[in-house]
Amino acid sequence: MANILVCDDDREIVDAIEIYLLQEGYTIFKAYDGEQAIRILKEQQIHLLLIDIMMPRLDGIHATLKIREYSSIPIIILSAKSEDNDKILGLNIGADDYVTKPFNPLELVARVKSNLRRYTTLGNLNTDNNALFQVGGLCIDDDTKEVTVDGEAVKLTPIEYNILLLLVKNCGRVFSIDQIYESIWNEEAIGADNTVAVHIRHIREKIEINPKEPRYLKVVWGVGYKIEKQ
Amino acid sequence: MGIEEKDKVEDRDKTEKKEKSAKKGNRAVQSVLGFIQHICLAVMIIAVCVVIGGTTIRVEHYRGISAYNLYAMRDHNIVYEDSAMFNTLFGYALSDIVRHGVVSSQLETNGQFNGKKVIDVTAYNYRSGGLPEQYVTAEYYLEDLLKWSNYGFEWDSEQMTPSQARSFLADTTRVIMIDPNSQYYNTSDASYLKSEIETYTFVSDVSGNMLWTDVNDYDGFVEEYYDGSAQAVTAKDSEYTEEIRTYNFLVNRYKTVDKKNLEEYVSDWDLYYDLCHNVQNAAKGLAYNYNEYLECGEYYSTANSNVRYMIVKTVGDNVQIYTNLTDEPDYYLSLAKSMISGEISGGIVGHESDKYIYYSPADMVYRSNTSITENTVRQVFQSYDYAYPETVRIWLSVDGMYPVNDAFQQGYHRFYEYVPYLWPGVATAAAAGILYLMIWIYLICVTGKDADEEGKPYIRLSVFDEIPTEAALLIACGVMILAFGALLIVSEFTNINPTDIVSVADEVFHYRGSMIIAAAIIFASDFLAMFFFYSLIRRIRSKTLWKNSYLRRAGSRVIRFGWKVYDNGDIVIRTWLPYAAFLLFNIVMLIWAFISDGLGSILTLLFLAAVDILVGNLLYRNAKEQRGIVKGIETIAGGQLEYQVDTENLHGDNLTLARSVNSIGNGIKEAVEISMKDERMKADLITNVSHDIKTPLTSIINYVDLIKREQVENEKIRSYIGVLDEKSQRLKQLTDDLVEASKISSGNISLQFEKINLTELMNQTLGEFSEKFEQKNLTTVMNINAQNAVIEADSRRIWRVMENLFNNVYKYAMEGTRVYVTINTLAQGAARNQEMIEVSVKNISAMPLNCAPDELTERFIRGDESRTTEGSGLGLSIARDLTQAQHGTFEIRLDGDLFKVILTFPLAEK
Repeated sequence: MANILVCDDDREIVDAIEIYLLQEGYTIFKAYDGEQAIRILKEQQIHLLLIDIMMPRLDGIHATLKIREYSSIPIIILSAKSEDNDKILGLNIGADDYVTKPFNPLELVARVKSNLRRYTTLGNLNTDNNALFQVGGLCIDDDTKEVTVDGEAVKLTPIEYNILLLLVKNCGRVFSIDQIYESIWNEEAIGADNTVAVHIRHIREKIEINPKEPRYLKVVWGVGYKIEKQ
Repeated sequence: MGIEEKDKVEDRDKTEKKEKSAKKGNRAVQSVLGFIQHICLAVMIIAVCVVIGGTTIRVEHYRGISAYNLYAMRDHNIVYEDSAMFNTLFGYALSDIVRHGVVSSQLETNGQFNGKKVIDVTAYNYRSGGLPEQYVTAEYYLEDLLKWSNYGFEWDSEQMTPSQARSFLADTTRVIMIDPNSQYYNTSDASYLKSEIETYTFVSDVSGNMLWTDVNDYDGFVEEYYDGSAQAVTAKDSEYTEEIRTYNFLVNRYKTVDKKNLEEYVSDWDLYYDLCHNVQNAAKGLAYNYNEYLECGEYYSTANSNVRYMIVKTVGDNVQIYTNLTDEPDYYLSLAKSMISGEISGGIVGHESDKYIYYSPADMVYRSNTSITENTVRQVFQSYDYAYPETVRIWLSVDGMYPVNDAFQQGYHRFYEYVPYLWPGVATAAAAGILYLMIWIYLICVTGKDADEEGKPYIRLSVFDEIPTEAALLIACGVMILAFGALLIVSEFTNINPTDIVSVADEVFHYRGSMIIAAAIIFASDFLAMFFFYSLIRRIRSKTLWKNSYLRRAGSRVIRFGWKVYDNGDIVIRTWLPYAAFLLFNIVMLIWAFISDGLGSILTLLFLAAVDILVGNLLYRNAKEQRGIVKGIETIAGGQLEYQVDTENLHGDNLTLARSVNSIGNGIKEAVEISMKDERMKADLITNVSHDIKTPLTSIINYVDLIKREQVENEKIRSYIGVLDEKSQRLKQLTDDLVEASKISSGNISLQFEKINLTELMNQTLGEFSEKFEQKNLTTVMNINAQNAVIEADSRRIWRVMENLFNNVYKYAMEGTRVYVTINTLAQGAARNQEMIEVSVKNISAMPLNCAPDELTERFIRGDESRTTEGSGLGLSIARDLTQAQHGTFEIRLDGDLFKVILTFPLAEK
């Protein structure tokens, strides 16, 4: 299994994370500041790094920058800084994901899994199947009507499936509720109906790790919905 | 201090000293220049005096002192005899001598004064013409008339009855008739001459019938009396009344040649009085002429004059000669003969340089070597044509050697003494004048200009310059009056009239002492005048002329008092008083314009118009200034707090107002900045604190979760853990909300506006909340009355607003009730011509709402005071702040348990 380095100056948090990840069968390395993390990264074969931003000696941002000079391993920033600017900064300097404290441990584990999958098994996926639609970790095989997220199968109702397929096929395009309704139900939308919105929420709950911060199926408030291009 | 530095300091000292000495030098130069200036003026005026005095010759004439001008500018290049002065003198001499000839003819016989000469008084009175052909007269001896004239004629009066009066006069009137056929008779003129030379005498009765005639010789009359005019007298008698009247008559002393009284010549009182009048007049005229005859004869005597003259009158064979020659009569008789024959060329004395006039109107001959024309001479003769027949001849000459000291000789000497110095004198005056002007201008330019020790220019004022202007003016006037008074006293003592330039010039020219005194006076006056003048210039230059005057001090005191009254006065005084003054001024000026006439009226109206325009302009300026201030206030009120009203060009109240507005603006700006800063600091603090809370919270949540994973058998512990889990999650939510709320209220968020369809948003939101609402059995009723409810908003924030609103509904709505969502288009805000979209969410509150609607949006306020339910108490506050940040309004209405939230947003422009 993969080796994961957890780096945070708060030892209790590191220990807690260790407990969760050990349960999933990962090997855990622990560091309490940026320098330590870099040293361990050099010494050990690490597959994923969980790193805090605010740490003594070398903070998470600078550590990430240094690591990115020679390594392409998935880096998930784990921080109490929940501002948009902090997230954007973290992702821009090379982090693959950003989880704000206090976090849901299960979400964190899911994200770790997802990132590892992308790094280890799905990185070079190549397929000739015409009916296969892929957006990031989201995969739709229209032939088998199978939907997988980061390799894990997701069960969807036919309407949910059709909505997702519509959005994935037109990746990046924003569909209003009326448009979605008309193309799925094949009848004119009468408006004042939140059926589509409810379905979308259900889809999000099934395919997203954190439905409130969706990675794939994004809500464009007041306009409609779309699948973000990855 | 190094040696070099020392040197430098010394150098500097030296240069400073040099500058100082140069400045002192400058002052000295100015003083010297001033001195030279006064000298220049003295020189100039003395030179002018010399020029004027030198060209003026004063001659004591028998009629008084006469001044003759050399006309130096014209005459400087010619000989004396051609000069204007010579010709003027010659002309005067001609005129005098012609008149002297007339007078002589009245008083002389054969060239000698004849006291026994008989004068026909009526003919004498009418000598200039107008003698009737028949007239009443009496003859007197010349000496008698002159004597009586000296003492005056004495009259007597007496009460007379008509008969007495009649008997007082003669019975007959003697009338003299001039024979028109006489060879001497000439109708138009010379009747006086004839009366002198040859007279016909008639005796006539009252009715004028000629009784007898005789040709009289020169010496007297032949008289005849007419007797027995009883008829005529009787006829006259009838005209008289018996009334007694007072009759005036000459005292019985003035005897005629015939030793008679005048009443013995006439038979009529009117004629008597005429005759008396004639006698008196003749006596008076002759006395005057006699006086002139003596003086003129003296003046033009050969001893006193270089003039020689001969006047020859020929009447028939009678030849009369008037001359001032004292030679043997034979000599001048021969001269007269040559004159009659017209063989005249040259002067009487016979010198080469003699100047002469020979004029014979009868022969139409005029000879002269002067510039006097024949016309001039003829005019001179014409004024005495009664005394000169056409056969008169005149020969006048001036001895070219000027042996006698008279006007001609004086003129001659002065002319040759003076003319060579004329141009130098003029040149000196001009040069002095120019130099004076140059120094004057230079001193005007430099006076008072000085530099202090640092080289900064300033205006140096003397002690006198510091005296207030009016006092200085008073001193100057006093000094001037004193000087003028002194001058008057001097002129009083010296008999010189200072205003008569010629006499002053004459005095200065002739006497060295006078010249020195005059120079001193001029120097002193110029010194004083320039002292005051330069002081005036310095005052103007240093701008103290007005500033340092009593008038300004008094004026500014009055103005200050006026402002004080104005400032302390109430609004009535401040508005009505100036207005009333303005109206009064207009009325007064209009009345004045009506009263005054012509130009005065027009000028008054023009002045009034100018003042009115000025006042109008002032009002306009005031209004304009106020407009600027109002604009400034509006701008500041509109939120542009850094706006400053331009206080330049503002006056009075407006300036105060503008400054106050600016300071208010600044105050608000500062207050806002401080409060913004405070809010930001608070937001930062909250953010930081929340970070610090989050880290331990993370551990709590994680370990609670880990405990949950442990298969805890104990139910109690499991329920405790459940509480821990729930509360830790709520703590997390609280910190997030706290950060969000503080950020919004401090304005520390950036909004990205885009077009949002509210209907779509509402559907999406309801979709999100559908399950939550189902949990609580809440039914949503959508009511959309807007076609295209598109607004400008930040999509994430507007979602946050909706999320908070519906969360609120979810948390506090009574289970099983309906939630009404309405979207309406409002025409509200029509003033700005913008449609509004209204979104309202209504629900029935589960708990009774016992607080004011506004309080609900305050932070940490919740409908339930016990705070037992989930939520931070920040939801509505955040929703309200975010709505307002997106140009919307947020209103909560409570009606019993009905909880209603109304959002309005401006409709987005298409």
